[in-house]
Amino acid sequence: MQYVILKKVNFDDFITALAAQEKVVGPVARGYDNFSFQEVKSGKEISIKYIPTILPPKKYFMPQREKLIEFDKSQNKFEAVLEYDKVVIFGIHTCDLAGIQCLNMVFSDKPKDINYLVRKNKLLIIGLECNVYCDQYASCKVVDNHLPNGGYDLFFTELPDSFIVHVNTLRGDELIEKTRLFNPAEKIHLDQLEEVRKKKREIFKDEVKIGHHELSKLFDRAYDSKVWEDLDKRCVACGNCTNVCPSCYCFDILDNMNFDFNTGDRSRGWDSCQNEPFAKVATGENFRKTRGARQRHRYFRKFKYPVERYSRYFCTGCGRCTRTCMAKISLKETINALVDEQK
Amino acid sequence: MSKPKVAFFDFACCEGCQLQMANFGEVLLDILNLVDIVTFREVMSEKSEIYDIAIIEGSITTAHDTERIKNIRAKAKVVIAYGSCATIGGINGMKNKFDLEEIKKYVYRDGAKQIETLPTRAVHQVVKVDYFINCCPVYPPEILKVLKCVIAGIPYAVPDYAVCVECKLNENVCMYDKGITCLGPVTKAGCNSWCINNGNICYGCRGMVTNPAKNGQLDILARHKIPLDWITNKLDMYNKPRELDEQK
Repeated sequence: MQYVILKKVNFDDFITALAAQEKVVGPVARGYDNFSFQEVKSGKEISIKYIPTILPPKKYFMPQREKLIEFDKSQNKFEAVLEYDKVVIFGIHTCDLAGIQCLNMVFSDKPKDINYLVRKNKLLIIGLECNVYCDQYASCKVVDNHLPNGGYDLFFTELPDSFIVHVNTLRGDELIEKTRLFNPAEKIHLDQLEEVRKKKREIFKDEVKIGHHELSKLFDRAYDSKVWEDLDKRCVACGNCTNVCPSCYCFDILDNMNFDFNTGDRSRGWDSCQNEPFAKVATGENFRKTRGARQRHRYFRKFKYPVERYSRYFCTGCGRCTRTCMAKISLKETINALVDEQK
Repeated sequence: MSKPKVAFFDFACCEGCQLQMANFGEVLLDILNLVDIVTFREVMSEKSEIYDIAIIEGSITTAHDTERIKNIRAKAKVVIAYGSCATIGGINGMKNKFDLEEIKKYVYRDGAKQIETLPTRAVHQVVKVDYFINCCPVYPPEILKVLKCVIAGIPYAVPDYAVCVECKLNENVCMYDKGITCLGPVTKAGCNSWCINNGNICYGCRGMVTNPAKNGQLDILARHKIPLDWITNKLDMYNKPRELDEQK
């Protein structure tokens, strides 16, 4: 384990120096308590204290729209396309690091998603610890994502006068060397870090009426619950919950033909199980016709199906779905309602 | 194979959607490689009574209109409803909120008796429509998408989910977070949240999603303390003729 220290007064220099050499993105304030990951040129543009961004950093790993193939019918030519950008992402919270770990599992599963896996290796990940809850919507403790659990190159924790930085990979180490602004951590810093973590264990409690291990069992008995009928009445199917989710990965594939009607491309874009046509098939049948059934599917895709397949929750506890819901459907309230019903 | 002949027709509208086509610039040359434009009064003097594809701008508001659109339908192999007035009735539909005789007098005063008018209808409420290009004005990338489908002879499905979907993917700050009412949650996507990307609200010009969540939407209004008649007025600016679909 290697820890280094960056003085807070040097933070702006660190980002500025880095941005002079590479594309750097970080959380930027957009007003109305909204933030988004955007390209920055200096540390001053970054909000160190921020609540989860509108879209998670997923957008760099799996862009909203991505070209997969270019074709030319007249030549019988189909060529795979790989579009990527070398980016340093600063300031990813532990919930979003967990989201990236979920995506890594999905896209490494067979058949491997080459576009995702190649792009992922071009991204350098710098995590940032939340010393306190971002707001009342977060539920990172119950899914065990409130403390760092790998998945980064560097990880920053804010101390009184400095950031203590965990160096987790060789690439992270090279970046530290390059900027020459870091010093080795001393005992006082490690003690301060231990103090932060100790406080966090006091502050962060299970946010719902059920513990980590019982959560998936709750969903074993939830399929026919009345709770989904309630959500059916409230949900407006705007799709916000899935579009902002760090672990949703559904996409649709679309062909675009150019006006010569020979050349064109095939691309994929984010899709959502909440959209009316998502489960509609060619005969006009819709397998998840009601909004309640679609909401249930979303919850099962976070708390049941991935547990069976990947042995982990795909809810990262970031709270984005609750924060953004037009109908104010709350993840914590839904889980609590299921708990109450099963008592 | 000869190129399909395209004719543009305008009914009750501002012809602004045809202007979008005229403004295309270089892409227009690509389009002209594939089709022959035989009638398009905004850009040329020639006219023809023989055409394969009829692009209709405007809504149907008189008995004369009704006859005219039926004739066009009988001649054309493909009919495209083009723009909000043609696809959903658009702002001309606002008159459907009033008694026809009264609103006629209000607008035309002494000239009212010379005016003959019917409730506003979208094109599909009078004749069969094969393709819909929504929006006010039409969104250029969508025009191209639909034209390609028409030429390839395949259907085009207007996205039947909320503008919010595209708006989120564009990572806009939600208008409701800013305390501003927006019709994105009930309006069909396909415009890539064009207005909100540019700091405006969604006015609902693409028409409502086919399965809007009535109860859920009422909850949202109540939570934001938005009076129902206020939002109905907003919706009716473009969407009043939707009631004629609901009656069917």
